Amino acid sequence: MRDIIAVDISGRHRTSKGHYYIVCAAVSLSVSPDHIEKIHQVNTKAFRMYRPLKVLDVVHIIERTVSNIKREGVIVTEKGDMYNKPLSFVSSRFKDEFKYQESISERLAVQLAHHISLSSRKLLIQELEKI
Amino acid sequence: MKKAVLVQRNEPESEEYRNSSRLQELKELAESAGYLVIDEITQTKNPDRNYQIGRGKTDELSWIVAETGADKIIFYNQLSIMQIYNISQTCRCETIDKFHLILEIFATKAKTKRAKYQVELAKLHYELPKAKTIVSLLKKKERPGFMGLGSYEDSYEKDIKNRISRLRNELGRMQKDYDNLRTSRHKKGFSIVALAGYTNAGKSTLFSEMVDENVEVENRLFTTLSPTTRSFQVNGRKLLLTDTVGFIEDLPHWLIDAFKSTLDEIFLADVILLVVDVSEPIEIIKKKLIACHDTLWEQIEDAPIITVLNKVDRISEEDLDCRISEIEYLTPNPIIISASEGTGIETLKKKVFSYLPVWKRKDVQLPISDSGMSIASWLFDEGIVHNIKYTDRIIVDVEARDEVINKAKAVERKLNAYGHSEDQL
Repeated sequence: MRDIIAVDISGRHRTSKGHYYIVCAAVSLSVSPDHIEKIHQVNTKAFRMYRPLKVLDVVHIIERTVSNIKREGVIVTEKGDMYNKPLSFVSSRFKDEFKYQESISERLAVQLAHHISLSSRKLLIQELEKI
Repeated sequence: MKKAVLVQRNEPESEEYRNSSRLQELKELAESAGYLVIDEITQTKNPDRNYQIGRGKTDELSWIVAETGADKIIFYNQLSIMQIYNISQTCRCETIDKFHLILEIFATKAKTKRAKYQVELAKLHYELPKAKTIVSLLKKKERPGFMGLGSYEDSYEKDIKNRISRLRNELGRMQKDYDNLRTSRHKKGFSIVALAGYTNAGKSTLFSEMVDENVEVENRLFTTLSPTTRSFQVNGRKLLLTDTVGFIEDLPHWLIDAFKSTLDEIFLADVILLVVDVSEPIEIIKKKLIACHDTLWEQIEDAPIITVLNKVDRISEEDLDCRISEIEYLTPNPIIISASEGTGIETLKKKVFSYLPVWKRKDVQLPISDSGMSIASWLFDEGIVHNIKYTDRIIVDVEARDEVINKAKAVERKLNAYGHSEDQL
């Protein structure tokens, strides 16, 4: 079993108000090659931006969200989250160990993070609309 | 043998070993399709709208084609119809991309009706987005006259869409037959084991070894296109083993869609054997395993995966240990074998057995009568009879799945209650 932190970001498209409401979800898990064995912690963080995200912005958002996770682990994301940049280019910009999703369990973990970030963002937008 | 020139455009900042392994794979694909590769060209740059590679490189390509008399130019990168037209015009040579090449291989390998329909469906999916451009390019040379005016684009596109819809219906009907077959096999107590893995990993060799039968085996990509199923036994349990089409990296979704019914043979199996050629360089093994996980992850339900590390006879023990530890995170339940030498097959069979649904073991007492004998015979067919005793009644020690045991117990009660009377059954 290995410890990983699966991360996903939702909200890269501009809202009608011209802002970017971004929610990043980080999930700490223990995984075997084809199964999620245990979920240790979940952390979400919301960000507001006034311009589209660049790779370094994404790195910053992920690092801030992961900083609240107590258990150590390799950060895992989808390649598309980092604009399909080569691994060597992206991993050199992270302080912690980073990789793209590879195994079945890593893909399941990133999918889980995706559901969390997407639903959290929907709740956030609903609340903002009430104000 | 037809001669081909291979062309690959690499993304700037892309990894060198990945680019070279992709070109090597394209070469193997071309050879599988029956081409003799006479030259290879690579260029690192962002894609050119008109030629995919740069204009200067296209001129160099045209010179190579004229010099060598090549019959075909094969690109690794996906080409737009305009790029195909421009390159073919400049080089005076037929130009295709990797996906068209895969379709060519599939077309030659398709033997069953289902495989032929699947290949045609994939071809039509490939052509559909290009339909309008093809017609407008053809219309450039059009002369006035009958059918000379009007919008062919729409009618050509409609024809393709209609054919796609007809093929889908036809494949849907065939799929129902396969689903029924799968259900009836399950009902008869067969557990289904599927072989999955990257193309040329040795699935067909392992298949032959496990079922003790000769199937077509070649050192080529995509030897198997239509699934082949045979039965074999492990510790008295009847299993069906299915050999399937191999995976490949970066398969477009339309090709996966077209072969979905074939891939279902893997996704709906009770146990999946993921075959890996462990004799290849570590980076290639990883790349291929990642491509397999990518194809499998969304589709498989709860079926356990056993990773079969094949071709161990080709590497030293030290190399093997090193590779196993490097790919540990991608290999659930690894088993080491050499299908060609037949080593490790028994261990693999034991491992498969450990993942089969658990059967109950019970004693069934039957009267000595025609009905009792016929139930005993049925138990021999449906389960594993460990022992049978003939006293004043027949005592059968049988191991079988739940439905069989329950049915046997119900019949036992009924036969005993009616005091062996045949007429009342």
